[in-house]
This record gives sequence, C-alpha cells and structure tokens, in this order.
Amino acid sequence: MTAVSYREDARVTPHRNKSRGRKLALIGTHVGLFFWLIVALTPLIWALSGSFKPIEDIFVSPPQIIPERPTVANYTDLFSTVPFFGWFMRSILIAGGTAAFSTFFCALAGFAFAKYRFPGEKILFNIMLSSLMIPFAIILVPLFIEVTRMGLSNQYIAYSIPFLIPAFGIFMMRQFIVSVPTELLEAARIDGCGEFRLFLGVVIPVIRPALGALFVWFFLTVYNDFLWPAVIVSDSSRYTLTLGLNSLRTAYSTEYGLVLAGTMLAALPTLIIFILLRKQLIEGLTAGAVKA
Amino acid sequence: MALTAPPSGVTAPRASRRRASFVKIAPYVFLTPFYVVFLLFIAGPTLFAIYLSLHSWAGLGSFSFVGFDNYTNLFTNDDFHAAAGNTAWYVLGALLIVLPLSLGLAAVLNAHGVRWKGFFRTSFFLPIVLSPVIVALLFNILFDTGTGLVNGVLSSVLGVPPVGWLDTPVWAKVTIVLVLIWRYTGYLMIFFLAGLQNIPRELYEAASLDGAGPFRQFSRITIPMLKPVTAFVVVIVLTGTAQIFEEPFILTNGGPGNASLSITQFIFRAAFQRQEFGLAAAAGVLLFIVVFAISRVIASVFGIGKESQ
Repeated sequence: MTAVSYREDARVTPHRNKSRGRKLALIGTHVGLFFWLIVALTPLIWALSGSFKPIEDIFVSPPQIIPERPTVANYTDLFSTVPFFGWFMRSILIAGGTAAFSTFFCALAGFAFAKYRFPGEKILFNIMLSSLMIPFAIILVPLFIEVTRMGLSNQYIAYSIPFLIPAFGIFMMRQFIVSVPTELLEAARIDGCGEFRLFLGVVIPVIRPALGALFVWFFLTVYNDFLWPAVIVSDSSRYTLTLGLNSLRTAYSTEYGLVLAGTMLAALPTLIIFILLRKQLIEGLTAGAVKA
Repeated sequence: MALTAPPSGVTAPRASRRRASFVKIAPYVFLTPFYVVFLLFIAGPTLFAIYLSLHSWAGLGSFSFVGFDNYTNLFTNDDFHAAAGNTAWYVLGALLIVLPLSLGLAAVLNAHGVRWKGFFRTSFFLPIVLSPVIVALLFNILFDTGTGLVNGVLSSVLGVPPVGWLDTPVWAKVTIVLVLIWRYTGYLMIFFLAGLQNIPRELYEAASLDGAGPFRQFSRITIPMLKPVTAFVVVIVLTGTAQIFEEPFILTNGGPGNASLSITQFIFRAAFQRQEFGLAAAAGVLLFIVVFAISRVIASVFGIGKESQ
C-alpha cells in the first residue's frame, strides 16, 4: 500500500509470483485513487450539472449528469433577483488588493530575515513566529471593537485588516530568499545598487514563482473568508460574495437552482486561478513545511 | 552572509558612508510594516481580549471589572459545555480520520508505477480552494433528509431508511466531520507527499538489502522520517478545527439545539447576538490557552522546536 511496496529487490521469491503481486498492488492502488477522485469531485459535478437544470430536475432519481432539459435560467435569475455582480466585484477587488499588499510586504520582511544580520534579529524573528500561535478566535471580538471605534465598520479598508502581512507568508518568503545567492546581492551593491532597489531588482525576479504562489494563497484566503465580513459588515449594499451567498440561503432557501448557480459562479475564479497556478501553489505551500 | 559596506574607493566616500549606514538600518525599515500591523491588529487585540475577559461590557458605557466571573460563568454555561465538547469531537475526528487518510492517500500516490499523478494530486487538492461557505451550502443540499442526493443513493442502493444527517444531534456532528474529511484530506495529503518525496531512496535500498519487508520499511523508515511533517500537519489541523465556524453555522446553525455548536460560533453569538462581550472574550482566551498548551505538548512529543531554525 505504500511507497515501499514495489521496490525492486533481489530476494529469492520466484519472479512470476512477485510481479503478479506487484500488479495486484498497483491495481488496488488505482482503485483507491479513483475512489477518492469520485468522492472529491462528485459534489462539484452534481452542483455544476444541477445549476443548469430546472428545479424539478435537480432532485430526480437517478440523478442525470448531463441535464436533460438544460437551461441558464438559474444564472439569469441570479443576476436579476440579487446584486450578484456587486458582490462578485467587491470580493475580487478586496481579495486582489489585500493579496498584492500582503505579498509585497511579506517578501520585504522575509528578505530582511533572510539576508541581513542585525542586533535584535533573533527576538524579532521569534515574535514574528509567535504571532502564528494566536488563533483568530481570540482577537475576533477585540478587533471588532477596535475597528468599530476607529470608525471603520462597513468601510472596505476594514475588510482586509485580519489578512494583512501574515507571519506565515514572511516565514515562507524567508525560506525562498535564503537560497538567492548572496554573491548576486554583493555584485549589485558594488554596482551602486541601494538596498531597496536590490530587493526590487534582484530578489523579486528570482523568487517570482514563490510570490505567485503566496499571492494566490492570500487571494483565496480573503476571497473565501466569511467570519470577519459577517462581523464587520452590516450594510447589505456592501456585501461580499460569501455574505451574499449566505443571504441567498436564508432568503431563497428553497430555490436550490439559484443557490447552485451562485456557488458555481463564486467558485469559478478560484478554480481558474488554482488550475493555472496549481504547481507553484502546491510546491510553494509545501516548501516551507518540508524545509523547516 | 554578514553585510559589509561596499568597498570604499569604488564610490565617493560620502555616498558610501551614507549607504553603509542605510545597510545597517535597512532590515529594520523592511520589518516595520509587519510590526506595525502586528502591534495594532494582533498583539493589541490579544491584550485587549485578556482585559475584556475580566470585565463586563455590553457594547455601550464603561467597562466594569468583574474579576474571573466571566470564566466561572463559562464553566456553568450549558451552551459553552456543548460547544467545547462538540469542538473536541471535530478536532478528534479530524486528527483520527483525516490525518491517517491523507497519509494513506499520499503513500498510495507516491507509489511506483502510479499513473496520472499530477491529475490526482490536483483533483484531491481542489476542495480546499473552495470557500467553506460554498462547501457548506452544497453539503446542505446534498445531505438534506428528504431530497438530498446522499439519502437518495443510500435508499436506492442499500435500501436504508432516510438518515437525519442535519437534524439529529449525533448525525449533525457526524456530517460536519464528513465535511471536514472531504475538504481537508487532499490538502493535508500534499504535505505528506512532499515529506515522502524528501526521504532519500538509499534508505529503502539499504533496508531492502538487509531483508526488511514493506511493512517493516514503512514503520522503521517512513514513519520516523515523516515526524517533522506530521507535527506540522497536526498543529495546522488542531488550530484550524479548534476554530471551526462556517460549517456548523451554515449546515446546522449549531443545531439541533446546541448539538453541533462550535466554540467560535459560541463566541460569535455571545458577542454579536447577546452583547456579552466579556464572556465572548473569556471563551476566546480559554480556547487560546488550550490550543497553545496542546501544541506545546505535541511539539515536545515530536521533539521539534529544539533543533528549529
């Protein structure tokens, strides 16, 4: 069942027996993989197909994968009954802006920890790491009070606050920037390059794939979040996608076609971004865990 | 790697001196944005949470000091008891089911001769990129007692009577754990997969020359070599599921009764529906202490932290 099961070895077991066992193991392996594939994808395929069906066909048994009477009515209804476009644009812009800001400043701080030796470095690094240990649940209520007192509730700027410059991103960027050759930086310095230009001109281009991965992860985090906007946004004309989808559930609980179309459209940007950048994202995320 | 000023003589002395002094302060300048955010939006609120937890405040007026009353109230609060118990079930479900499952999937995917590895990896990872709101809305429809696909398949294939996935106390918790399994297994798998790929081949070759079979190799090489990754994954799962919110909020609204209420949902209700901000803050502080203590124990059990950095 494991990585080690199929290794060549020069033991005395008869060859034919061995290779039959290996073949069986390999078939078992693929059966397991296809089982999980079905588990992982069925809800999404069901929802995608359901979003193109009239309500009477969504729950027909046995379920039809290809809609028999395909319709886009659920999608057109979505745009005519609720301000879906506004939710969508707000989420995209807030998530994009926050992710760009956080990625830049995570890389800058990661650069400081990776390539400079300075008094207080160790303490500052440990403080940064310790912030990873603070669960959002403890700061939810005080942060809400703080943001409200600052007069920022319902302001777009407030939507970003818990997602600014997470320590996890600094840590990940440090792991990548450490491997940028120091000679490259020294050479640029001798050419008269200032420290900030060094970051922009030398470090950023080298770590571009990792930056892409971090940007995508931050984008997904903000775009998908529900708890913070649910707390800070009360004005329904300033809803984000997750708040809007949740309001669909309460206001149109029986209009399943509408809910399905909404979830599928909301999932679309995340799926596109993920499929385009899947390799960088998965490798970027795991690099920190394995190297650390 | 220590930084020195550019060699003098290459540039004019004054410019070089100015640059040398900026090299000294540059790291502090680069770290400032993070520490400003940290003080304002992490450290500040954390201290404020502790302060708030010792006071009574209903959203208006002044804070009145009540000592540990909020904490003692939590210990006698039925909703909090239920929330703590349910959250413990979610965490245990994730650790005891999701973790082994994701390790198993990683091992299978890492096996020799497996085809379409990239395709499987991408498909398994996919659920985590979807918002928990989207996931909860979909599962809400799929697990509906009357019309849901799950009961439909169960009754037509196995002839089982409809299961009250979302409206009976035990099944509501089970359904939430099922959602966690669906969403997190493929995500955690990628960390184990990366860990497996990091184990040097020679170790297995040497072991098999010494006559160690697959199971011995798995228990003597794979498991010990995966210790650091496992510790990392355990901490992610623990801190993530201890704060679970969207799944119970959207799937069951904590119900029936308070049978699937989570701690974060308890905090949400206490603060934003009942204006008991002190009580909510105390629950947050308690959650933090428990999660922190358990993480420390895990770190010492796995022997990490000593050789870190």
